Amino acid sequence: MSSEMMAVDYYIPLIMFLIVGALTPIGAMAVVKIISPLKPTFRKGATYEGGIRPIRDALIQYNVQYYLFAIVFVIFDVEVLFLYPWIYIYTSEVIPKLGGVNIAVLDMAIFIIVLLIGLLYAIKKEALRWV
Amino acid sequence: MVLSTIVESITDFVVQEPKISGLIIGLIAAAIIASVINVGAMGVVWLERKVLGDMTNRFGPCRVGTRWGILQLVADAIKLFTKEDSIPRGADRPIYVWAPIVACITTMLVAAALPWGALNIGGVVYPLVAVNMDISAFFVEAALSLMAIGAFMAGWASNNKYSMLGAFRGMARMVSYEVPMGVCVISVAIMAHSLNIVEIVEAQSIWYIIAQPLGFVIFMIALVTDLGRIPFDQSEAEEEIIAGYVTEYGGIRWGLLYFQEYIIMLLGSVLLVHLFLGGWNGPVIPVISILSPMIWFLMKMILVLVFLIWVRGSLVRFRIDQVTDLGWKWLLPLSMVNLVWAVAVGVYFA
Repeated sequence: MSSEMMAVDYYIPLIMFLIVGALTPIGAMAVVKIISPLKPTFRKGATYEGGIRPIRDALIQYNVQYYLFAIVFVIFDVEVLFLYPWIYIYTSEVIPKLGGVNIAVLDMAIFIIVLLIGLLYAIKKEALRWV
Repeated sequence: MVLSTIVESITDFVVQEPKISGLIIGLIAAAIIASVINVGAMGVVWLERKVLGDMTNRFGPCRVGTRWGILQLVADAIKLFTKEDSIPRGADRPIYVWAPIVACITTMLVAAALPWGALNIGGVVYPLVAVNMDISAFFVEAALSLMAIGAFMAGWASNNKYSMLGAFRGMARMVSYEVPMGVCVISVAIMAHSLNIVEIVEAQSIWYIIAQPLGFVIFMIALVTDLGRIPFDQSEAEEEIIAGYVTEYGGIRWGLLYFQEYIIMLLGSVLLVHLFLGGWNGPVIPVISILSPMIWFLMKMILVLVFLIWVRGSLVRFRIDQVTDLGWKWLLPLSMVNLVWAVAVGVYFA
């Protein structure tokens, strides 16, 4: 084994967190299986929708509005992803300056203005209106 | 003599075998963190019942245990463990079973990256964090949004129209507030010049609630939304859609989902304390100086928790269209204003 710690090695303990996080509920369900009664009947398996027998499945087509929200969300979430690495470079001395301001700052200003115009467009087109 | 040899050999092993020792350290840390968050969340549930009881002029838990009702949670857990494990006929069984597991994994991942206070040993402050990564603020933000996936799985798999509505509402709410929340985290990171939560806390000679009050307000609203608490609990809204995405869950499966919400509430308040309230920073308390950062951290955390309960006790639920409007049309542009402010401060004053 190499004695140098690779960057990815910092994340190895997370594997154990994944396993312990998954084992907690599995252990709880195993305990329930041992100590609690299990007498399934036909009525116990019914869907609870206010007492009457439910009409049809729940997996039907819902409002298209959710889809529009999801699309706008993807656009802005990618924007936020671009902002994260930018945190480390916006004051960097390596990047040239324009009129005393770091070019990275100007770049991001233009990027955000374009996106805000996009948001304005989405609002005007009523893509973000709940119907 | 023997002790120093043991310490030396352990250090050698950690240096030579980073992968295996990482797994062992991870297992120990995961066991400790799991107990801390579970006991902590029990405390949060008790605190919420007691404080809400006082706010609505009731007693709250007062029978089991002492007259403070501190054993009420143990009694509830015994009840949940002895209830029958019933899965509805129409449910999508694998997803139905996996939803609480996904929720538990989410809370563990968030708790792994958050510092749980600090100790002041000989004037140097050592943060207590399980996995100290360079991008922990980003990681916590990403892992927190996984909670919505657990809730959506629960609602989708139940084959109940009310569950489905709750799941959809939860998703629409999450996508409306994820972006402002992310931009607020970025604004904080810009002021601190780091995404590591420990470094963010150390950079707060002035608390960021004072340096960027707008960011604090936006982050607070987005956090309450992420936690799914009143006034933003449209995904469970018991007066409208029974219990939303947990309608078809019972016994310990419901208990797990319910408990994860309180763990997330605990984690969310810890995150808020670290990002905006200066974490464990505070004047050193003389006699118990080793514990003084821990005491400051716990005091701030309990303050935030009581504030969250207070919000629940005083506000009413919004309609879902009001919630999405607030997120997209107000908080998103305002968070951009806050970002510009943070960049201006970062470029010219820092």
